[in-house]
Amino acid sequence: MKMSPEFTKAQANMQPGKITADGFLGDDSRPIVDIIADDEAEMQTLGVDFDAAVARMRYLMAEGRKGLEEPVTVDGNWIVRVSEARGFLPSPFEDGIFRKVNAQVELAPGGVRSGETILYSELGLHLLEKYHFLQGRGAPFRLEPGQLRKVLQL
Amino acid sequence: MELHNLELAYFIAPLAISGISAALAALVSVTDRIVNNYGDAVININDGSKSLDVKGGTNMLLTLAENQIFIPSACGGRGSCGECKVKVKSDVGPHLPTEIPYLTREQIDGNVRLSCQVKIKSDVDIEIPDYLFKIKQYTGTVERIRDVTHDIKEVYLKLEDGQAVDFRAGQYGQIETPPYGKVRERTQRAYSMSSRPSDSNHAEFLIRLVPGGIVTTYVHEHLKEGEKIKIIAPFGEFYVRDTDATMICVAGGSGMAPFKSIFYDFIEKGRMNERDIWYFFGARTRKDLFYLDELQQMQDEYERFHFIAALSEPQPEDNWTGETGLITEVLDRYLKNEISPDKPKEGYLCGSPGMLDACMDVMRSNEMAEDRIYFDKFA
Repeated sequence: MKMSPEFTKAQANMQPGKITADGFLGDDSRPIVDIIADDEAEMQTLGVDFDAAVARMRYLMAEGRKGLEEPVTVDGNWIVRVSEARGFLPSPFEDGIFRKVNAQVELAPGGVRSGETILYSELGLHLLEKYHFLQGRGAPFRLEPGQLRKVLQL
Repeated sequence: MELHNLELAYFIAPLAISGISAALAALVSVTDRIVNNYGDAVININDGSKSLDVKGGTNMLLTLAENQIFIPSACGGRGSCGECKVKVKSDVGPHLPTEIPYLTREQIDGNVRLSCQVKIKSDVDIEIPDYLFKIKQYTGTVERIRDVTHDIKEVYLKLEDGQAVDFRAGQYGQIETPPYGKVRERTQRAYSMSSRPSDSNHAEFLIRLVPGGIVTTYVHEHLKEGEKIKIIAPFGEFYVRDTDATMICVAGGSGMAPFKSIFYDFIEKGRMNERDIWYFFGARTRKDLFYLDELQQMQDEYERFHFIAALSEPQPEDNWTGETGLITEVLDRYLKNEISPDKPKEGYLCGSPGMLDACMDVMRSNEMAEDRIYFDKFA
């Protein structure tokens, strides 16, 4: 699929050492439009709606922040730990800056840890919501559609 | 004849275009060499109190670091922490969009700049606090790594022979980790020192694993005893003010570090009973608490030292009989009901920006003066 100049610039900004030390693409050499198209197809196959996923992730991050860095049990179904560092990260699409907030969400039915986790940042949520970009395979903050569905219970 | 001219043009046109392209490329190359060759420059610091002869072309943060002047930078110069502010008294061009989010209107008007975003192109005058001259780079050998909880490691470094770090209890250092795995460059992050200032040929840090964190992952998964790492220290304004006000100290997780340093420094100097100290420490469950025995022992030994641990989600197996709830809730209860309202108070906080904001709210609502609440907001 053809890349627009905006996406070409974003892909350059996603390389390691540009915005974050390890970048947004991992080992994935595909153009980001192809990463997005493939993930959109997989999300559709799995029946996971992007907006529903983002809404739940925002809710869990907001609840997790109340723990002041300590893990919090949310609705008896997830254990959420939100970590926050000073400063901001710019979006690789150059459309905003985001606080350095990470949420680790573990599925924990009845408060019992399952070992099934997802990890996302405030910037990652923006990329997911606006661009349907789940990051490249092997990237530290890559969100796998199947794992999203399992952990978020969608 | 016309056909001959057309054939000639057919060959000449591409040659002409190639020639023009080559000339343009050469022009760009020459221009680049001229424009980007900034040559030598002088950085004049604090009205001539120090002057550095440097090569132009690199950003100010790195150029100063190469000359052993270390400006605080929690992100290592990536322009994402906003820490490396320097007042620039020369014209180095307008503020960049990458700097604006980190600067107040007043700082912009005063030409405060993020030193990692300003390239040295010519002579420049800057102003930095004098204490920055005390900051040095050290090499430490990991003498001991110990798990104090399931996700916090205590890392104890022996500095190279002859090196001693001169710091105040409560200050922090920057740890530099090497490239590893997919991380292709050296990375620096800031951590409070938990060692005592008197143990100056060692430095100790408490490092909690942050999911996705580059330095914390390295420390937890790769760092070995015997390995050498670099630290830059001391930084920060977080140290005990010399008053007799009641100290209200609040921390969670690895925020324990500066308080460990402060309390043991007090004990060494015989100052533990000079003023009232309340230390609030929050965790989720019993397994997230550490140093409990030694803090309990301190409380038994020093009547003016009070240690309040609180669990936000104690588990049945914890058999916890202490305080429960978020540390901010417990702090609020104690400020209202337990701690004398008559004595002046100072707040000492160590934690994430969110934790600090929440504690500040509680302290303000209990009439503690904001200018007497101290912290380093770096997480």
